[in-house]
Amino acid sequence: MSTKQSTLNRIRQALGMETQNEWPTVARERLVTYALLGIYVVVIWFPIYYIFITSIKPSSEVLSVPITFIPQQPTVQNYVDIFANRPFEHYTFNSVIVATTTTVICVTLGTLTGYSFSRFDFFGNKTLLLSIVGARMIPPIALIVPFFQIMSNPPLIGGFTGSLYDTRVALILTYTFFNLPFAVWIMKNYFDGVPESLDEQAKIDGCSTWEAFFKIILPMAKPGIAATAILAFIFSWNEFVFALVLTSSEVSQTLPIAVSLFVADDFVDWAHLAAGGIIAALPGILFGLFFQQYIVSGLTQGAVKE
Amino acid sequence: MSVENKKLRRKLDRLFVPLTVGPTLVWIAAIIVYPTVQLLLSSLQFRNPITNEMQFVGLRNFQRLLFAREGGSAVLGVFNPNFVSFTANTVVYVGFSVTISFLLGLGIALLLNKDLKGRGWLRTAVIVPWIMPYVMSGLMWRWMFQTEYGAINGVLTQFGIIADNIPFLSDGTLAMMALIVADVWVFTPFIIIILLAGLQNVPEQLYDAAEVDGASRWSRFWNVTYPFLKPSILVALTIRIIFDIRALDLVWVMTGGGPGKATEVWASWLYRTAQVFNEPGPGAALGVVLLATTFVIVAVLYSVFGDSPYNA
Repeated sequence: MSTKQSTLNRIRQALGMETQNEWPTVARERLVTYALLGIYVVVIWFPIYYIFITSIKPSSEVLSVPITFIPQQPTVQNYVDIFANRPFEHYTFNSVIVATTTTVICVTLGTLTGYSFSRFDFFGNKTLLLSIVGARMIPPIALIVPFFQIMSNPPLIGGFTGSLYDTRVALILTYTFFNLPFAVWIMKNYFDGVPESLDEQAKIDGCSTWEAFFKIILPMAKPGIAATAILAFIFSWNEFVFALVLTSSEVSQTLPIAVSLFVADDFVDWAHLAAGGIIAALPGILFGLFFQQYIVSGLTQGAVKE
Repeated sequence: MSVENKKLRRKLDRLFVPLTVGPTLVWIAAIIVYPTVQLLLSSLQFRNPITNEMQFVGLRNFQRLLFAREGGSAVLGVFNPNFVSFTANTVVYVGFSVTISFLLGLGIALLLNKDLKGRGWLRTAVIVPWIMPYVMSGLMWRWMFQTEYGAINGVLTQFGIIADNIPFLSDGTLAMMALIVADVWVFTPFIIIILLAGLQNVPEQLYDAAEVDGASRWSRFWNVTYPFLKPSILVALTIRIIFDIRALDLVWVMTGGGPGKATEVWASWLYRTAQVFNEPGPGAALGVVLLATTFVIVAVLYSVFGDSPYNA
């Protein structure tokens, strides 16, 4: 007789009236809700299930009719094969390095800058913030031509680095382009939610601005930092377009490219593609399962301003 | 604390903003502003196929993209048939994907907003498709729609709904529908997340009041939920539309713009022009068109439906 009561009954009760037995309606509504959500979840997970079972079927079973929805001879051979026959350890390593470095850069700069935008009035701060946020609207694909030109022949640093085409550095630099503005924006919004009185108290206690930031505010911003880091990592890990444009060998190709390479002109090696695809999707799925609340809060902070 | 020390601290404090904001601004100037300027410059150039040098050609790239050609020169006023058909494909793709995923996402968000046991797990289960690499999702759906061994034909034939396999990806209309299915699958979670957050802003007492008044479900949604949800809807739709116009991943790995050119959209046209055909000038010009379109869409959406961008 607690949460399950409807508003009408709570009011009836408050007025001293007799409550009505609404149990059948409430129960039916719940059942319908669960049923609808259940159907939805089953339908959207079916393709994931199908690609997963494809990855643990031998190639002969993958290409046989009628198709099987429960693998008859489960095997991990496809996973062994892709590491044995293709440089999948390189692809995985590249993905890890690129996504991690991009994340560290964006979180570090995003946190520092986000804090300043949240707390200080400085020359043109509103305009600067608006342009940083506006930069998120620039479609990355629109910039493939200049990025290809710039990375092939970098200005200023070119004499020192040579061409950056087909290097992990090119990918890292490029990925900061859509992750940094996002990081600044999430962190700014996050710091807006941390009471400014904390900064003031710290300063009264004799902290400098730096100390107040690093000792008091930064530890409180951990959830915001986690959200930013997870999203930046996922975005960089999954990125495809620039990797397609800026890389050409296993020196720098990442997992999304590796998976697409299973598609030859007229033949697709589905069993091995499925195994590679599962490896590429794994971090995202794991992050989703264990850090769902950070992903949700980061996206919400990033998209909607309170 | 000595006076010297205090002076140093004050000096360091004054440097806080320049030192924390400066590096980011320099970085952004190098990685966003400079490439954007370079994009505008490239769109006015054409690569000489013999010398490989970029030559200034003014607005000719744009003329070539937008208008039909006759005897080597653009016929102003008559549109390039490619431009017309790829724009139509883009409108169909984005229009259907966004509408369907919005309605579906709204429905699921409303269901998930109820006080349910296992809500956290359901939410996780629902957002996973959005977190997977788009390339992987695209290939996964290509596999689902595969004619002989794909799961969709498998299910349909094994349940006896159809007798012969449907060649989904080799028919223009069906391929576009398959793409829309994949796009809806990938991006509905995004709508759900944003709308679920928005639903937290609806004050519960208002629902109670509406229920007491005996308002119908529809009128409760329209008069109570919608006004509070409107800012989130605007954000979700805006981001969804501008991200769909630029999306290459799904199209490229699922259909490659085919069969023929039935699913060629702006993004794949841009990539094909710039990278496959190695024509950076026209590719950059398309990039400028895409960039301008994005800003126009955001401006229109916000001037019609909202106050100011990102101020929901």
